[in-house]
Amino acid sequence: MKKSFYHYITIGIVVLYLLIPLLGTFLYSFATSWHKTILPEGLTFKWYIELFGDIRFLESLGRSLILSLGATILTLIIMVPAIFSIILYAPKLEKIVQSLVVMTYAMPGIILAVGLIRAYSTSGVSMVLITIGAYFVGILPYMYQGTRNSLRNINAETLMEAAEILGASRYTAFIKVIVPNIMSGILVSSLLSFSILFGEFVLINLLVGGHFETVQIYLYQKLSQSGHIASAIVVCYFILISILSAVMIKMTRQKKETI
Amino acid sequence: MSFLTIEKIKKSFNNETVLHHLNLSIKEGEFVTLLGPSGCGKSTLLRTIAGLIHPDEGTIHIDGKNVTEVKPKDRQVGMVFQSYALFPNMTVQENIEFGLKMKKLDKESIKQNVARVIELVELTGKERSYPRELSGGQQQRVALARSLVTQPKVLLLDEPLSALDAQIRKNLQKQLRSIQQELNMTTILVTHDQEEAMAVSDYIYIMNKGHIAQSGSPHEIYTRPASEFVARFIGNYNVLSRKEISNLFNDDNGYTRDIYAIRPEAFSEAPVKDGYEITGKIQKMTMLGNITRYELEVNNVCFIADHLHKIEEDSQKRETITLYLNRKDVISLT
Ligand SMILES: Nc1ncnc2c1ncn2[C@@H]1O[C@H](COP(=O)(O)OP(=O)(O)OP(=O)(O)O)[C@@H](O)[C@H]1O
Ligand SMILES: [Mg+2]
Repeated sequence: MKKSFYHYITIGIVVLYLLIPLLGTFLYSFATSWHKTILPEGLTFKWYIELFGDIRFLESLGRSLILSLGATILTLIIMVPAIFSIILYAPKLEKIVQSLVVMTYAMPGIILAVGLIRAYSTSGVSMVLITIGAYFVGILPYMYQGTRNSLRNINAETLMEAAEILGASRYTAFIKVIVPNIMSGILVSSLLSFSILFGEFVLINLLVGGHFETVQIYLYQKLSQSGHIASAIVVCYFILISILSAVMIKMTRQKKETI
Repeated sequence: MSFLTIEKIKKSFNNETVLHHLNLSIKEGEFVTLLGPSGCGKSTLLRTIAGLIHPDEGTIHIDGKNVTEVKPKDRQVGMVFQSYALFPNMTVQENIEFGLKMKKLDKESIKQNVARVIELVELTGKERSYPRELSGGQQQRVALARSLVTQPKVLLLDEPLSALDAQIRKNLQKQLRSIQQELNMTTILVTHDQEEAMAVSDYIYIMNKGHIAQSGSPHEIYTRPASEFVARFIGNYNVLSRKEISNLFNDDNGYTRDIYAIRPEAFSEAPVKDGYEITGKIQKMTMLGNITRYELEVNNVCFIADHLHKIEEDSQKRETITLYLNRKDVISLT
């Protein structure tokens, strides 16, 4: 009894610790003003109306989506077949992929950004494209793990052999047999990658900054102007990420059931 | 006339030779088994025939055509894997159709062919099920149907039944054999179960460490094992040294080879003309279903003898038993 009592207390404290700032932000985004009182003085939709009325916000939302989706889709098209080929047909190269994976963690964002600016700022290539390229590498770990685990789960090597003996080319076998079976695993990694990129600030701010305003940059600027609007942005962002997480959890569950 | 000819196939992995210049020749419509202990290279040989492994040396001819350099997809072979390797995203129907779709057959003939093999492997009514909804035996039959429907020139089976329990296994063995005979399909089965090999094959290749230890019909192999390895591998042969043989028979005339084999069921309780008479102490008696196995001892030589089980067995009380053996049942080994 005692033990479970302490359990609840500790869990309760942790949950409060995590929830209070969110709750605060949530309330603040609906508050008319909130300075000297414990609870807001009044509630209003004003900030949300203002936020969604601002074309800059909608544009930055669009840019964020394009950037994160673009990088994720690019990764899907290029990285998944590459990882598949490496795992099945050139397992010796897998070590290189693994060290790349480690390197993406080892490299702090600031250093990466400075390096990229030095290398490409005079090259004439659009820094937006450079950012997409950096994102592409940045989400390598998630895509690699997701693809590899999915391939393991379905015993991809034997499936490929079976399909080939039945007269399929490797390309056809990959598209018709492998892809449908790893789809759910890969979608989960993609959603994860997408939500990580969507919240990315360091690289985009340093590499392109105001030239290509994303939601994160917009949020950063709003922070100094209106705490209410900034809170409203955070709430929207949080809702979006929650939806994505819910979808991911649901898909992971489904995958387990089918196996 | 040989339909599938394998000449001097050699394959090494990491400097370790797994297939040592093997030669096999298989007739059209023949059911051949590759039998051997784990790791002797059976799967490697089968995969080489399928084109999944490229041999270091040697050639493979199927139906008069050299296919050594032909890709698996163009070899016109069918293969059933131990793990079934059914496509999880496809229904039974779609799995079986796959090979025909790759051949770009028209819809109508795909439909007919699929319906025919589904009937052949007795899976009617399961067309819309997914592989995960089927039992192991059913999955294996889908795998078989999927290979058969493309009418391959050679059907390769890599331990297709080893994941199934004994009862289903026996049934599927029979079914496999009758389907094979009905279609007159040239078939190579890999197994390490000698009973399975004896039950279904026309011809058996026994493999050991990448060599062919012996080949022949099941009857030849069983009654005339050529080496100690084969004798030990294909049954419960008594393998005895020259000294043990002369002790056993109290007779050292004519036994000049180093090693001999005697089938346990060659010993009979009825006297045989011009044979040996042996009286042994019963060490142990075991019931193996329809046979009774005696572990006997004579002049410090231990051996086993099998008899068909009889109701009025009273050997429980007996201490010794007298058995007779035909001279020709003592097989000399190399
Ligand atoms: N791709 C490979 N790379 C390296 N070694 C291999 C490879 N495939 C097989 N071998 C080796 O070749 C030998 C024969 O393997 P093979 O799979 O042909 O045996 P098997 O007779 O089928 O055995 P089992 O009855 O256990 O399936 C083994 O020693 C194995 O380790
Ligand atoms: Mg094997």
